[in-house]
Amino acid sequence: MTWPTIARKEFADALGSRMLWAIVIIIALMTSLSAGLSLLIPEMEPDAAVAIGGASQFAALLVPIMALIAAYLAIAGERESGSLKVLLGLPPSRGEVLVGKFLGRGGVVAIGLVLGFLVSGVVTVAIYGGLPLTAFVGTTALTALLGVSFVGIAIGISALTATRARAMTLAITAYLRLTLLWDLVPNAVHLLVTGEMPGQVVPAWLLLLQGLSPTGAYNALAQALLLGSGTAVEARIGGPAPAYLHPGVFLAIMLVWTLLPLVVGYLGFRRADLS
Amino acid sequence: MYHMNAVHSPDTTAGRSSAAESVAIKTSGLTKRYGSDVLAVDDVDLTVHDGEVFGFLGPNGAGKSTTIDVIMDYVRPTAGSATVLGFDAQEEPREIHRRVGILPDGYGLYDRLSGRKHLEYAIDLKGTDDDPADLLNRVGLDVTAAERSVGGYSKGMTQRLALAMALVGDPDLLILDEPSSGLDPNGVRLVREIVREQADRGKTVFFSSHILSQVEAVCDRVAILNRGRLVAVDSIDGLRDALGTGSTVTLTVDEVPAELSLAGISGVTTVTTDGRTVSATVQDPEAKVAVIDRIREDGAAILDVSIEDSSLEDLFTAYTGAAPPGIDPETAPATGAGDASDAASRETSASDDSGEVAR
Repeated sequence: MTWPTIARKEFADALGSRMLWAIVIIIALMTSLSAGLSLLIPEMEPDAAVAIGGASQFAALLVPIMALIAAYLAIAGERESGSLKVLLGLPPSRGEVLVGKFLGRGGVVAIGLVLGFLVSGVVTVAIYGGLPLTAFVGTTALTALLGVSFVGIAIGISALTATRARAMTLAITAYLRLTLLWDLVPNAVHLLVTGEMPGQVVPAWLLLLQGLSPTGAYNALAQALLLGSGTAVEARIGGPAPAYLHPGVFLAIMLVWTLLPLVVGYLGFRRADLS
Repeated sequence: MYHMNAVHSPDTTAGRSSAAESVAIKTSGLTKRYGSDVLAVDDVDLTVHDGEVFGFLGPNGAGKSTTIDVIMDYVRPTAGSATVLGFDAQEEPREIHRRVGILPDGYGLYDRLSGRKHLEYAIDLKGTDDDPADLLNRVGLDVTAAERSVGGYSKGMTQRLALAMALVGDPDLLILDEPSSGLDPNGVRLVREIVREQADRGKTVFFSSHILSQVEAVCDRVAILNRGRLVAVDSIDGLRDALGTGSTVTLTVDEVPAELSLAGISGVTTVTTDGRTVSATVQDPEAKVAVIDRIREDGAAILDVSIEDSSLEDLFTAYTGAAPPGIDPETAPATGAGDASDAASRETSASDDSGEVAR
C-alpha cells in the first residue's frame, strides 16, 4: 500500500506551494463578502440564512474552478516532466498513484474550503450576532463535497492526458460545460418539449436535469438545506415533489461525479504508454 | 551459457525456479509499434544473466529506451513478452519494481522538493530502511546540497540524485538509461564505480548507452540494437573476434609509394591512405611487422608508427552501418572534403569489407 505515502506527499506539496492558503483566503474573502452584503445594501433584510445562501452561490461558481486548478496537473504534469517515470519505477501501481493523488489533492481542497468557511462563519456571527448552525455546517460540508467532486473530475482528466496543455484545455472545458453552460441543456430540452422557455413554474423533470451536473446538484442540495427539502422544490414546480427530486438523489449525483471520472481516468491511464 | 548458469546456480529462493533465478531480464519476440508506421522495437530476443553487467548499445532512436520502457511497464508491448527477475513485466510490475532500481530516460524530478525529500519519498514508497546520508555519500552529493530544492540543481547534481534514488532498497537489478548524460568526467567515473560495486556484490546492471567507450569500460556482454532490431549480442572480445577487425597499423611516411603492395600480405584485410598516412588492418599479430617491412621495400621512409586494437566504434560502425553519434571525432572515420574525399570513400569500402567478414 503506497497510496497513503503519495497522498501525504501531495498534501505536503500543496502546503509548500501555498495552494492550501490560497484556497482558504479566496473562500474566506468571498463568503465573508456575501455575508456582509446586507450591510452594504440597505434595502436588504439582515438575515444570516440569506448570507449563507449567498455564500453558497459564490461557492458554486468559485469552488469548481479552484478544485480544477488544484488538481488538473496532478498526473499530466508529472507525465510531461518525466517524474512519473521515477514514481512508477518505484513500487506504486498506476491505480495507487491515481488514488493517492486524488486523496491528497481532495484533502487539500476540502480542508481549504472548510477553513475558509470557518472564517466567514466568524464574520457572520460578528455581523448578525448568531449563526443557523445546521445550515452553516451543512453548506460547509456540501461545499467541501463539491470541491472533492471537481478534484475527482480533474484527476480523471489529468490521468487521461499526456501534456499540461491538453489537461488545461479539458479542465477549462469541464468548468464551462459543468458549471457555466449546464443550464442551457435543461432549457433547450424544455424548449424542444414544450415549445417555450421555462417560466415561473417548471416541470419537475427540469429540476432533475438542472441537478444532473455536480454544480447543479450542489445548488439543489444547498437550497434544500436552507429552505427545507420540500418547500424549495414545491415552490418551483407548484405541487408535491416527486421521489426523484429527493436530496439523496442529488447527493448520489455528486458522488457519481466524483467517482466516475476517476474510474474512466484509471481505465485510460492503466493502458497508456508513458514514453 | 544460459544452461550452464541454470544448472550450476545453487541458490534458489522460495517460489522461483533456478532457471528464473539465473536470468535477470529475458525478452521474447518483443515488439513495440507506435501507430502504423513506427516500429520502435522489432522482435527482440534478449537474455541478461543474473550478476552480469550488460551493455545495451545503439544509436539514438534505435529502440533502447522503448525496450526499457516495456521492461519497466511504462509501455505495453505490441507483441512478445518481457520477464524481469522471474516476474512478468506486464502482469507483476510491482514485484519487479520492488527489486529493481531505475534511472529512466527523459526523467524529471520535483523542482520544489529538496534532494533529501526525494530520497525519503523513494525510501517510503519502497518500504526500505536506507539512510539518505549513505545514499548521498555513494553518489557524491554533499549533505548541504541535499537540503536545497532540486529546481536549483545542475544537470549533474540532478543526475546524481536520480542515481541515488535508483539505489534505494539495494536493487538486485540496476537499469541505467544513458546514465552519463549531463555528467562531468568525475560523474562519469562515479557511474562506472557504482556499476562495478554492484557487480562485485553479485548484482545485475543493465547499462544502456550510445557512448561506446563507457559500455566497453564496464560491461561483460553487449547487445547492439539498431533500428529496433538486435544485431549482435556477445562479449566485447567475442564481438571483436566475430568481426575479425583485429588491429590497425597506422604509418606516417615521407611519401606514399605509388605502388603499394601491402594488401598482398597474408593477414592484412584492408589498406587505406590519407595524405601521408597509411593504415592497414591486420588479423595476425605477425602481419604488423610485415606491413612495416613491406612499406619500406615499396620505397617509403617511415616517420611514425602507431598500432591500435580495433575499438568498439569500429564494431559499432560495422554492425549499424553508420558512425554512432557521440563518439570522439578523432577516432571517427575521416569524412573530410577535398583531397580527403578519396580516402573517405575508401574508408567506407573498408568498413563494408569488415561487415562482410561478420556475415
